Amino acid sequence: MDLAFTPEEQAFREETRAWIRSHLPEDIAHKVRNALRLSRDDLQRWAKILGSRGWLGHGWPKQFGGPGWTAVQKHLFEEECALACAPRVIPFGPVMVAPVIMAFGTPEQQQRFLPGIASGEVWWSQGYSEPGSGSDLASVKTRAEREGDHYVVNGQKTWTTLGQYGEWIFCLVRTSTEGKPQTGISFLLIDMKSPGVTVRPIKLLDGEAEVNEVFFDNVKVPVENLIGEENKGWTYAKHLLSHERTNIADVNRSKRELERLKRIAKAEGVWDDQRFRDQIALLEVDVIALEMMVLRVLSAETSGKNPLDIAGLLKIKGSEIQQRYGELMMLAAGPFSLPFIEEAMEAGWQGDQGANALGGFPGGEVANAPLASTYFNMRKTTIYGGSNEVQRNIVAQTVFG
Amino acid sequence: MDFNFSEDQQQLRDAVRRWVSKAYTFERRRADVAAGGFSRSTYTELAELGLTALAVPEAHGGLGQGPVDVMVALEELGRGIVLEPLAQAVVASAVLSQYAPPAAQALWLPRIASGEALVVLAHQERKARYRLDVCSAKAQASGDGHVLTGLKSLVPAGDQADAFLVPAQLDGQIALFLVERGAGGVRTMGYGTQDGSRAAELEFTDSPATLLTQHGLTALTLAQDIANAALCAEAVGVMEQTLHITVDYMNQRKQFGVAIASFQALRHRVADMKMQLELARSMSYYASLKITAPAAERHLAIARARVQLGQSMRFIGQQAVQLHGGIGVTDEYIVSHYFKRLTQLEMSFGDTLHHLGEVSAGMQETAGVFA
Repeated sequence: MDLAFTPEEQAFREETRAWIRSHLPEDIAHKVRNALRLSRDDLQRWAKILGSRGWLGHGWPKQFGGPGWTAVQKHLFEEECALACAPRVIPFGPVMVAPVIMAFGTPEQQQRFLPGIASGEVWWSQGYSEPGSGSDLASVKTRAEREGDHYVVNGQKTWTTLGQYGEWIFCLVRTSTEGKPQTGISFLLIDMKSPGVTVRPIKLLDGEAEVNEVFFDNVKVPVENLIGEENKGWTYAKHLLSHERTNIADVNRSKRELERLKRIAKAEGVWDDQRFRDQIALLEVDVIALEMMVLRVLSAETSGKNPLDIAGLLKIKGSEIQQRYGELMMLAAGPFSLPFIEEAMEAGWQGDQGANALGGFPGGEVANAPLASTYFNMRKTTIYGGSNEVQRNIVAQTVFG
Repeated sequence: MDFNFSEDQQQLRDAVRRWVSKAYTFERRRADVAAGGFSRSTYTELAELGLTALAVPEAHGGLGQGPVDVMVALEELGRGIVLEPLAQAVVASAVLSQYAPPAAQALWLPRIASGEALVVLAHQERKARYRLDVCSAKAQASGDGHVLTGLKSLVPAGDQADAFLVPAQLDGQIALFLVERGAGGVRTMGYGTQDGSRAAELEFTDSPATLLTQHGLTALTLAQDIANAALCAEAVGVMEQTLHITVDYMNQRKQFGVAIASFQALRHRVADMKMQLELARSMSYYASLKITAPAAERHLAIARARVQLGQSMRFIGQQAVQLHGGIGVTDEYIVSHYFKRLTQLEMSFGDTLHHLGEVSAGMQETAGVFA
């Protein structure tokens, strides 16, 4: 047993840190550091910068143009990105659909789709959830009917994260109603500019439109956009989910947000309030325990023996921590987290510059506007990705055998 | 970054586990509790397994093993809620080999390794609660040595141990001494504790004492940190077995015609117990792997671990009893004894609130396993 990274891993960390810090635009880092609104342009600018270095698909093997990093290197890279206040990589292209295309796509599909994902040129969305499907993903109803050399798709997807920016969407569609619900599902790539695709943003409780409804009305999709075999989509979807493992804990971002929470607590004068400070200390212990758990999974993955079946625990704990820091940030600002000023989510708003004049807010770097917003936004984390209740079912299953 | 156990560590685990499951039965433990809560012959068996020698340097007849080996041994002893305080041998080995003059090392370390001598920490005073810097026992020079006067409480197996590591005021600071139980002016009053193990009140009146170090607080802090890392490891073993017992019971126990393991409300509780177990195990690793870090870093890491372990022990202990229903609150059935052990561990060497205070006071701008 050894807690330390090897000198090579340490050198790798320094090298990636230096590169990230010198290439991450400060205006973007500023927004991330203060949880301000990121535009499509912000997100894609950073994606393309990473893409230019070959690091947008940082989990990819070398044969597909990725860096071929180990699990530990991937972890270190993600941590350095998070701590530098880089926006999170929108995962739908490089992290989700790309591994499926690599594993199950044809060489033609790989040549057609992977370069645009690796460079950050093409924005992908995920079409899994449907109205009424909840955590029961196999219940998808969106139909794809084969007509000659194309499918005709009809139905609706929902909770499509940032789908308003999407150019392509990978979808689970029903191609058969026979047998178990899992057996009639296919994995289809759909050009969102196709006639019959409509995207409607859903305004959420924090006032932002982070997710969308996507409607398919007689959308024609060429047969060559089918991944793998018809009716085998469930297998591919599971493969995709197995790539989420440690990502879902999001511990690196939580470490950064813990730092932000401390800055807010200091600015708001509750850092020296023992009752409040102890709550931060409890969260700090949670974050470190989660990080240790992630490292244990990484170690098991690296050594190839002693596999750890605790992915469900990572999701539950990771999401609870995200909710907790959001909650504590709001509580730290107290009554000053109550104003709802949508412009204050934009960088450059006067309150963001620390102006304590009329119309501004005290706090300088740590403007209050996003605090309640973060709290409300984080309610999603225990619901998405398989609700925490579903995760508990899975964990219990591993315990009872 | 590697959390795999070595071949040797795996063998150590297997050996201790075998002994616990074959030799250390619940019936035997019950008899030991009735006989006072400490069994010298059990302690000798731990010595025969090599456990008392684990942390003693090889130069003094020990095995010179590190914190991870100690962790492995204690996890397994925890699984059997073994009464004898093996962690004390680990603590005494570290304190003596790092702080004692050569003569004291040569005299005591080989006997600790062989199990012949049980040397325990006697630092608790009535008004100190969990603080180490509150100490009213006093020592003074006498002839070419020292004598020590004062009261100490809750000393593990205190009326059976052979010698004590005792902090006392000397020349305006806390120094650490070794006092033999058989020395003049030593009186003991032994009693059982909630978990069935044994402790004692000690009274020293001008008792001859060997000065180990004048940096008593530094040595005591190390002692407590090591004791806490050992406690975390033991607790993981106790919790793992507690969960195991509970799951077994839930598979057998029927209500409304089905095994209660089929009820979702109860299954979710078990998932939460598993969560607490794995968080605790992660932090126990963290604690043991940080034992060799610089003092401040080590101490903060231990406090963080104890905050997690405290929460985990409380939750798993309470829920194990709850999930058992009525049988869980009986003395006859095994689970209440695991619950009581967890409760006692939680309140030893600083409770959760105490350690939370340490974490809170030690918070920096950044935090993380590698921060």
